[in-house]
Amino acid sequence: MAEQLSVELRENQGKLNNRRLRRGGHVPAVLYGHGLENVKLSVSEDALSLALRHGSRLVDLAGGVNESAFIRDLQWNTWGTQVLHVDFTRISADEEVEVTIAIELRGEAPGVRAGGVVEHLIHQVEIACPAGSIPEKLKVNINHLKLEDKILLSQLEIPQGARLLADDLEAVIVQCVVPAELPEEEAAAAVEGEPEVIGAKKEEEEAAEK
Amino acid sequence: MALMPKRVKHRKSQRGRIKGDATRGNRVVFGDFGLQTVQGGWVSAQTIEAGRIAAQQYLRTEGRLYIRMFPHKPITSIPLETRMGKGKGEPEYWAAVVKPGTVLFEIGGISEEAARMCFTRLAHKMPVKVRFIRRRTM
Repeated sequence: MAEQLSVELRENQGKLNNRRLRRGGHVPAVLYGHGLENVKLSVSEDALSLALRHGSRLVDLAGGVNESAFIRDLQWNTWGTQVLHVDFTRISADEEVEVTIAIELRGEAPGVRAGGVVEHLIHQVEIACPAGSIPEKLKVNINHLKLEDKILLSQLEIPQGARLLADDLEAVIVQCVVPAELPEEEAAAAVEGEPEVIGAKKEEEEAAEK
Repeated sequence: MALMPKRVKHRKSQRGRIKGDATRGNRVVFGDFGLQTVQGGWVSAQTIEAGRIAAQQYLRTEGRLYIRMFPHKPITSIPLETRMGKGKGEPEYWAAVVKPGTVLFEIGGISEEAARMCFTRLAHKMPVKVRFIRRRTM
């Protein structure tokens, strides 16, 4: 079920007004899509963070506008602690949307006990699915991942009605490998010397010119 | 093995100023957890290496450590008991310039508890104040 989010229409725009809005505990937002006019909105910061914590991507806007919307984009501050701006797109529950979903590993790989390391290489994938059934996460079970085993994108379990939007289905999501170690000689060689200066003449060349 | 560029355009650089917060390189990208700096500053190649060793000794063969900064800046110095003048000093070491918010290190493949322990050890080596962050999907 979509989360209810109360919004207000926003008259003012610009850096100064938006900063004032944020100081008052609100987040500037915009609603667009379906060929209709863009609407400037403001959302309560607490209500938005609650919706985000619940993992909601589809929300029912109420107040200034009464529509279903999809959280298309979020702008965060440098520290990732405060949402600076939200992009909502108009949407109906049966409409297909393209959305990026996180991949979560579940279980414990037996390969780790055999001295391997689990490398999680793809953390999120893009899928197309109906807006009403966007999964919060895609879970990958690694209970059977032995040493030198890998799980490919093509083996990912996608919810019904959704399709994977990836070019390379042979890409590795997670693998269990023997940890690589840097050879000692290579490490010692890399310490010495100064980096090469691009365009600088060597001493021999200078002597030859003279 | 201290990090250093392979090729550079100039041997020496001016000191520069660290203005504003990091607007890029401020999110966890490769691993699951990250160490984000709260202050701006220079992190020398030796310090990065010290941090890497401290983390690696804790991790041993578990998980994977990612270094998200690189010492691109040559730092020069004038020898002791030298009269002022006679030009700029010689390059002494290499440093990474970090803005507040930059993610310095990342760890993947271990639990949050272990990552916190590992970053605590690593943070002691850093010349800047740091904080622990998690990966964010949206």
